[in-house]
Amino acid sequence: MIVQPEGIFYQMLTVENIPNLVEEHLVKGRPVDKLMYVPSKGKPPIPKLSDIAFFSKQRLVVLKNRGLIDPEKIDEYIARDGYQALAKALTSMDSEQVIEQVKGSGLRGRGGAGFSTGLKWELTRKSSGNGKYIICNADEGDPGAFMDRSIIESDPHSVLEGMVIGAYAIGAAEGCIYIREEYPLATKRLHIAIDQAREYGLLGEDILGSGFSFDITVHRGAGAFVCGEETSLIGSLQGQTPEPRIRPPFPAQSGLWGKPTNINNVETWANIPTIINRGAEWFASIGTESSKGTKVFSVVGKVNNTGLVEVPMGMTMREIVFDIGGGIPGGKKFKAVQTGGPSGGCIPESLVDLPIDYERLMEVGSIMGSGGLIVMDEETCMVDVARYFLDFLRSESCGKCTTCREGIAAMHDIVADICNGKGEPENIGLLEELAEAIKDASLCALGGTAPNPVLSTLRYFRDEYDAHIKDKKCPAGVCRALISYRIDPEKCKGCMLCGKHCPEKAIGGEPKGPQTIDLEKCIKCGVCRESCKFEAVLIE
Amino acid sequence: MTQEISIKKNSNGKIGAVMVLGAGVAGIQASLDLADMGYKVYLVENKPSIGGAMAQLDKTFPTNDCAMCLLSPKLVDTARHPNIEIITNADLHKLDGEAGNFTAIIDKRPRYIDEEKCTGCGTCTNNCPVRNIAHFEDVDELGKVHLSQEDQQVIEQILAGHESERAAVISVLQDINARYRYLPEDILRHTAKALDIPLSRVYSIATFYNSFSLVPRGKYVVRVCMGTACHVKGGYQILQALERMLKIASGGTTEDNLFSLEEVRCLGCCGLAPVITVNEDLYGSVKQAKLPKILERYQDESVVAESTVGGTE
Ligand SMILES: Cc1cc2nc3c(=O)[nH]c(=O)nc-3n(C[C@H](O)[C@H](O)[C@H](O)COP(=O)(O)O)c2cc1C
Ligand code: FES
Repeated sequence: MIVQPEGIFYQMLTVENIPNLVEEHLVKGRPVDKLMYVPSKGKPPIPKLSDIAFFSKQRLVVLKNRGLIDPEKIDEYIARDGYQALAKALTSMDSEQVIEQVKGSGLRGRGGAGFSTGLKWELTRKSSGNGKYIICNADEGDPGAFMDRSIIESDPHSVLEGMVIGAYAIGAAEGCIYIREEYPLATKRLHIAIDQAREYGLLGEDILGSGFSFDITVHRGAGAFVCGEETSLIGSLQGQTPEPRIRPPFPAQSGLWGKPTNINNVETWANIPTIINRGAEWFASIGTESSKGTKVFSVVGKVNNTGLVEVPMGMTMREIVFDIGGGIPGGKKFKAVQTGGPSGGCIPESLVDLPIDYERLMEVGSIMGSGGLIVMDEETCMVDVARYFLDFLRSESCGKCTTCREGIAAMHDIVADICNGKGEPENIGLLEELAEAIKDASLCALGGTAPNPVLSTLRYFRDEYDAHIKDKKCPAGVCRALISYRIDPEKCKGCMLCGKHCPEKAIGGEPKGPQTIDLEKCIKCGVCRESCKFEAVLIE
Repeated sequence: MTQEISIKKNSNGKIGAVMVLGAGVAGIQASLDLADMGYKVYLVENKPSIGGAMAQLDKTFPTNDCAMCLLSPKLVDTARHPNIEIITNADLHKLDGEAGNFTAIIDKRPRYIDEEKCTGCGTCTNNCPVRNIAHFEDVDELGKVHLSQEDQQVIEQILAGHESERAAVISVLQDINARYRYLPEDILRHTAKALDIPLSRVYSIATFYNSFSLVPRGKYVVRVCMGTACHVKGGYQILQALERMLKIASGGTTEDNLFSLEEVRCLGCCGLAPVITVNEDLYGSVKQAKLPKILERYQDESVVAESTVGGTE
């Protein structure tokens, strides 16, 4: 909650806090310290929203309306300059000028590959053939990223406005939004937004009296990661089995129903109105040499402030994780940040000062992806993370290419063996060999980038692989076959909570005395460690 | 077309040619071995193509090797081997003679295409106006759909809702899935007919997407997020704890049909990791120790529901 005009920010409020707050602050004018944000234990609270690093370091372009408007009311969007860009484009610009602006802004696709949006529009526009389509890719498949969901839920009209402008520039008459079925609220809000826009004459026939007609339909996905890939998405829209197909022809030449099709990510579309409103130069003034504008990241995992942040391109990982994210909880040591989802890689602590843009991330063996930043601390095992991604990709591979289908499974089995303490030193070479084959021989980027999580963890965390293979130890204490639990008799107070939760009844001891774990019975589920209030359960 | 195979005898009176019946993987391997030993091999197969059942398998037992990866090099070798002649779409009509000197009469069914010129590009199947009857389906059963009146109404209604769509199949399946919480077989058959697409297409879509199930789900579907954020915060432990508590493996349904356990790839609430959902209810920052309480809520409800049913009897 924010109290204006001072801009005092209160957090984690419950109903019980409210009388006190109203009495103290609103009536007596005394801000309530204990409900304010505290950066870390022992530090003084920060009263003003604008002083809290989580907010002050951010720069809101795409998320500018988040929380400030009711997403189900088009009037509130319009009150904050909504649909002004559309009016500007339709009345005072021709389609080439719109494309010039988008090209000049340097906007690159936010869906993963980072292709220049203006260029893509131009290609589709120049493709011969009528009945062109545009598609909004809202199949946010990267686990750990949820910016597209948030944009649609909090500001659906910005996406619609971007799409109408794009359709005008490209010369498309129909648009599709392909949204994951895991996002029911976002789907509902999209439908509401589309209905309202139609009512206001901002969608449909003869938009704003300009003679330009365009309409949008919404399609739900059904839970397949590969459907985020553009050719597969188009297949899914056509009611086929969504297997990616070979490119060229690119969708810009032959896409949905064989027509030229322009496909962009939600965040890409949502950037368009601001670019048209404020101009290409303004947008291009934010960010780095090659990557312009802002990027929304979802900062999640082992970090104090989880959530979406929007920052200018080129901000360092350190600023995002430590200043905005507030560092690692529980005083644990930072280990790495994983970016780019299953196609990306891990950025180790040594590279934490790296300014983030498309090129730099590529250089260090990761990718921008859709913007999920998963923070990992010393208790995250990097071999296990590699195994996790391989497992993910193994089950999400559509199975069309043998190298992807079989190769990822083979890599998974090797890495799983390493996690289970059955690894051999020669496994590493084999992993690298398989990685090459999968990269070279897969048709779509799912297979083409699948080995990245393994290669990047091998590159930066080779010591962890060695520990698993040679010493049969998991330094982070994650891989079950290589660890055992023990209760520290010094710390244990004998509250017996762990024994109560233990599913195998493997914990014994006298009340108020130190407890012990029967390692024969222990299945290493970790519930004792999770429930211990005194941090007395150790992993060895 | 009937082909008669008879070959000149060798000096020892035996014939240096072998006929192999059935071009499954066993027949193919036998043919390759014989051909490598120098025999002329006639490989006769009833189906239009060689490969047999193995070509339809995904994996082989017990090593889980990829079936096609093992088979396809053999297929290519067989087709290219100068000592092997493949006779497909054919039946053995008559066999005369004795060991070392047989005469076989083979009936070859027509293909209506020029085998010499065909490159196997598949364009004809795509453009064929008549739907082919699959080889593997029981022809008598085909087209028999047993729907109750209620089901009939439901599916008609669903289909009517998507009449205007150009590719309605996914939306229709989604609606069926929302109504029944899985995809019943008879309804799928009906859908295939109504939309005029092959049943195999409907199945290939139904089995591709994670959100469809071909077996009935329990009253409550417990979904555990297996996204990255949830993984690093212990999602896997939660899944295993649920497997223990419900005594089912992930993907299974409890015997009383109360709970199904499924995995999902990121629910988009990664800030609350680890996350599980039970039907529409979402639980964030889940701990193993909290799970029994969560499950209990739904178990209790079922007790209530059951007792009211019992009371009306
Ligand atoms: C396996 C795979 C999954 C993808 N998933 C997504 C996704 O979830 N969301 C998305 O916007 N793009 C995804 N993409 C990228 C799209 O193919 C496409 O490049 C993108 O939608 C283009 O939009 P943009 O130019 O605005 O980035 C994926 C690509 C691959 C290969
Ligand atoms: S990773 Fe579990 S909700 Fe996103």
